[in-house]
Amino acid sequence: MLYKLINSLYFLWLLLAIPALGALLQFSHNPTTSFDLIHPTGEFSVRLMIIAMMISPLRQLFGRRGWTDWLLKRRRAIGVAAFGYALLHLVFYLIDMAVWEQVVKDAMIFSIWTGYIAFAIFTVMALTSNDSAMRMLRANWKRLQRFVYAAAILTALHWVYVDGEWRGALIHFIPLAALEIARVAHIFTKRSRKTAQVGTVI
Amino acid sequence: MKFSQALMAVAAATAMQVATAEPAQATGKIKCEAGPQSGWVSREKLEAELKAKGWKIKKSKVDGGCYEVYGTTPKGDRVEAYFHPVTMEKLLVSRRGKVIFRKKG
Repeated sequence: MLYKLINSLYFLWLLLAIPALGALLQFSHNPTTSFDLIHPTGEFSVRLMIIAMMISPLRQLFGRRGWTDWLLKRRRAIGVAAFGYALLHLVFYLIDMAVWEQVVKDAMIFSIWTGYIAFAIFTVMALTSNDSAMRMLRANWKRLQRFVYAAAILTALHWVYVDGEWRGALIHFIPLAALEIARVAHIFTKRSRKTAQVGTVI
Repeated sequence: MKFSQALMAVAAATAMQVATAEPAQATGKIKCEAGPQSGWVSREKLEAELKAKGWKIKKSKVDGGCYEVYGTTPKGDRVEAYFHPVTMEKLLVSRRGKVIFRKKG
């Protein structure tokens, strides 16, 4: 019974919402903390995006197994939560900036417009993360979701260029990059094995 | 499969190396060799001086041996600025990672 509850999607949603509730609680007590909440909300968004993106290469490398199925069932929740934290990140940023002309001036800078484009992609992805959108878009749904790779690169650039420092971003992106490299290597070794087999038959 | 596992191990080792190589507070943007902290001007004094000049300050801290200030310049620009902790000289000003002022030399 307890296991079923903990393993449910509702429990996952709750778990994913806890840091956001903490941030909102902190903000409601002291609105000046919006400045301090920009970085952690952005970082949470990146973490969740990376976890969601790791599921696909993991399934390709390890195949359909109990645990990869388990992860896949939770991908939508994790991805939508990544969007939620990106939204909080943007809202805290706008509250902190306060002055519209300064927001516009910031948006002209590379480090900031990369973030806006990534956010636009996340918005479209989150809005189509439901069964009816999947049915409606059919094959296009998958094509649309592939834009996440562009969003991931833009997000990495946004982080590195805002900070003027690459270490924090690198640590976060390495697991995903490693899996993607392994995925490509896996595809190539599979392909070369196939051609080798064909060769022996002939 | 073996090859990809090796790749992952290498990547993990690299990550560990990067994570433990240098202390987190040294961002490498700028460094101040200003001697012991006992000889430094207090952060409060720097903040007061900047406020008198028309700055608005969100936050300040020590970074790379310099004082780092997040705030708004008298012109209204949101910036991140570095000051020498003894001379209070402005060394580097950047806006969202874009350098808009750097002291010559």
